[in-house]
Amino acid sequence: MIAQDDTTTAPPAPATAAGADAAPPTRTPPAPRRKRRRAWDEAPRWQIYLPLGIYLLFTLIPFYWIVLFAVRPAGSTSLLPWPMTTAHFEKVWTERAFATFFQNSLLIGLATLVTTTVVALAGGYALARFDFRIKKGFMLALLCSQFVPGALLLVPLFQIFANLSMINSLGSVIIAETVFQLPLSMILISGFIKNVPYSLEEAAWVDGCSRFAAFRIVVLPLLRPGLVAVGSFAFVHSWNHFLFALMFLSSQEKQTIPVGLNTLMGADSVDLGALAAGGVIAALPVVIVFAFIQKWLVTGFSAGAVKG
Amino acid sequence: MTIFRSGRRRAASALALATVLALTVTACGDDGSGAAGDKGTEGSGKGEITFWDNNGGVRTDVWKEIIKDFEAANPDIKVTYVGVASTEVQSKYDTAIQGGGLPDVGGVGAAMLAGIAAQNALEPLDARLESSALKGKLNAGMVDSVKSAGGQGKLFTVPTSASNGVLYYRTDLFKTAGLEEPTTWSKFYTAADKLTAKDKNRFGYTIRGGSGSIAQALDAMYGQSGITSFWNGDKTTVNDPKNVAALEKYVGLFKKNTPAADVNNDFTKMVAQWDSGEIGMLNHNLGSYKDHVKALGTEKFRGIPNPTTDDGTRVQVSNPVDGLGLFSSSKNKAAAWKFIEFAASHRSNSKWNESAGAIPANTEAAKDAWIQKAEPTKLAAEVLFSGKAQIVQLPYYLPDWNTISKADNEPAFQKVLLGKSTAKEFLDSLAEQLNTAQAEWKSQNK
Repeated sequence: MIAQDDTTTAPPAPATAAGADAAPPTRTPPAPRRKRRRAWDEAPRWQIYLPLGIYLLFTLIPFYWIVLFAVRPAGSTSLLPWPMTTAHFEKVWTERAFATFFQNSLLIGLATLVTTTVVALAGGYALARFDFRIKKGFMLALLCSQFVPGALLLVPLFQIFANLSMINSLGSVIIAETVFQLPLSMILISGFIKNVPYSLEEAAWVDGCSRFAAFRIVVLPLLRPGLVAVGSFAFVHSWNHFLFALMFLSSQEKQTIPVGLNTLMGADSVDLGALAAGGVIAALPVVIVFAFIQKWLVTGFSAGAVKG
Repeated sequence: MTIFRSGRRRAASALALATVLALTVTACGDDGSGAAGDKGTEGSGKGEITFWDNNGGVRTDVWKEIIKDFEAANPDIKVTYVGVASTEVQSKYDTAIQGGGLPDVGGVGAAMLAGIAAQNALEPLDARLESSALKGKLNAGMVDSVKSAGGQGKLFTVPTSASNGVLYYRTDLFKTAGLEEPTTWSKFYTAADKLTAKDKNRFGYTIRGGSGSIAQALDAMYGQSGITSFWNGDKTTVNDPKNVAALEKYVGLFKKNTPAADVNNDFTKMVAQWDSGEIGMLNHNLGSYKDHVKALGTEKFRGIPNPTTDDGTRVQVSNPVDGLGLFSSSKNKAAAWKFIEFAASHRSNSKWNESAGAIPANTEAAKDAWIQKAEPTKLAAEVLFSGKAQIVQLPYYLPDWNTISKADNEPAFQKVLLGKSTAKEFLDSLAEQLNTAQAEWKSQNK
């Protein structure tokens, strides 16, 4: 495609009555190339940073408050985190068994991440590359499954896991989390796979690859942003999810961080320092995960949004 | 070829991984047996039992200590402790009643007792208590209270403790302002006014406008009106003109003598701002005493029973009595009962209540020395057991009580605070719901 450059060619000279007596057309100098500026490029800096700053303030103050309560000694009313103590962290980590809760949450989060990603990859590939009779209906069912809240299925799920002798087993939560996250993950992954040209896979087949090898060698590396998006979504969701862990896990040795946090609030009494320290422990892995993957995450979600 | 060989290896690894994962996920699970309606068995009195603590977390340590003592005294019985957060215990019981997985023993507060008992999940304990060493050693008022709360005239829990409404006030602020102790409602309102200096972010009182607001408002209403019964025949007294006037006066404190944010106050926020700010008075129960001590020490505040009317009449609403229930689906009821007996015995009951700052149900435990040292508990016990206070028994026996006193009416109370509805409109609506629930309950229990 040839682009039309209207800045370097002069407009045709208007025809005049004098005809040949007319002066020869002169080439007008090219108009200076003007960069199209967006409105916000021209706005004063403060108009950008002030709203952002106010927004950040509103977002960060609750976090500051949690950290403040977590590090200042009990009874202190200081608005600054000084003098500082680690007593609340020590208390929740050892006395309130947050070390165990953390380990369980991590195990559930990682297992959900792996199972969701692997199954969603396989399902998403099928949705993206194969045509089958009930494909549209299946996609619709996947979408509709998002309208069903987990609480609605609690009792049937409980009975299923009870029949499988899986109550008070981390596996019950991993399975439930995976099942609830699969529909969205499959839809997302199929969108990413559709973005990879089919001809790349065909070229790999011509070179002797099997379908699986072509997928692994050619398609999979291109899906990295999508996998990061789906995987992190699965991890964070299962890390924060409360209901299944509360209902399916009973012994303290199996409980997770959100359930543990909830037990820090008694019926009539609450240890705010310990609660805040527990909150920091709960938030930290999510913050770290997002700090590392945010670039891929944004790329992944926007890439998946182009085609669906 | 290389691809195929490594492919097979990978397939084998994947299969092995899947097998390990499957074994891991099913390991250490149980079948979650025991739903409502399951008959259960008496069992051998030995083996393993499961206990659900209905205030898990904050009371975990003391329960583990009691369980350790119990297992030392009963080496044939092992108790599995499950701490459930108080906010979630109702839904946990409800799910287990429907889907299975009920414990052998569980903590059940009076407020949720009727709902659980109505689903036939709890074993009546009257006969067991009659032949137990606990007979005659439990506070009669608390036994009557849980019997009434069960709604069927049967004893579904062995009472372990009771709380009571407490007016906490800052002695340092009262001293500086030259105020009298808020022992009467008049003195309370005077102090709330004098201690308020909005420009300095000081307030006389913090009101509970969020979760749990209804019980506190009822306590303030009946305390001021002096009405001593919740029912007048089949009609509730909540919308009696005296109660309406009392509530109008009480909600008049909002924003005038309290922070505006109090409209969303649950006990956590209320206690947190009282402990860390300069607010003169706070109404709560005995449960938060230790938090106040931790934040303020013992010198800066006192916790006294709720104020009396000017002529010294003390009327207060009943607080839910906590207790231990034996679930009818238990396959080891004999061992479960042994645990309940042990937990309600003098030593264990005293230990638990000392830790919680609550009033023991065991009459011997109620005489222990620690009660004299915990002033609010001592004063509350004196009020409850002196016979001088009139207790308005709230209808915990109504299966709808929890819904009426929480989900249905807490938002309506917020409207009263915000001036979008009047105290009379609110109380009339509340009365209508209560009268209907009472009529339904009566027709079901003819």
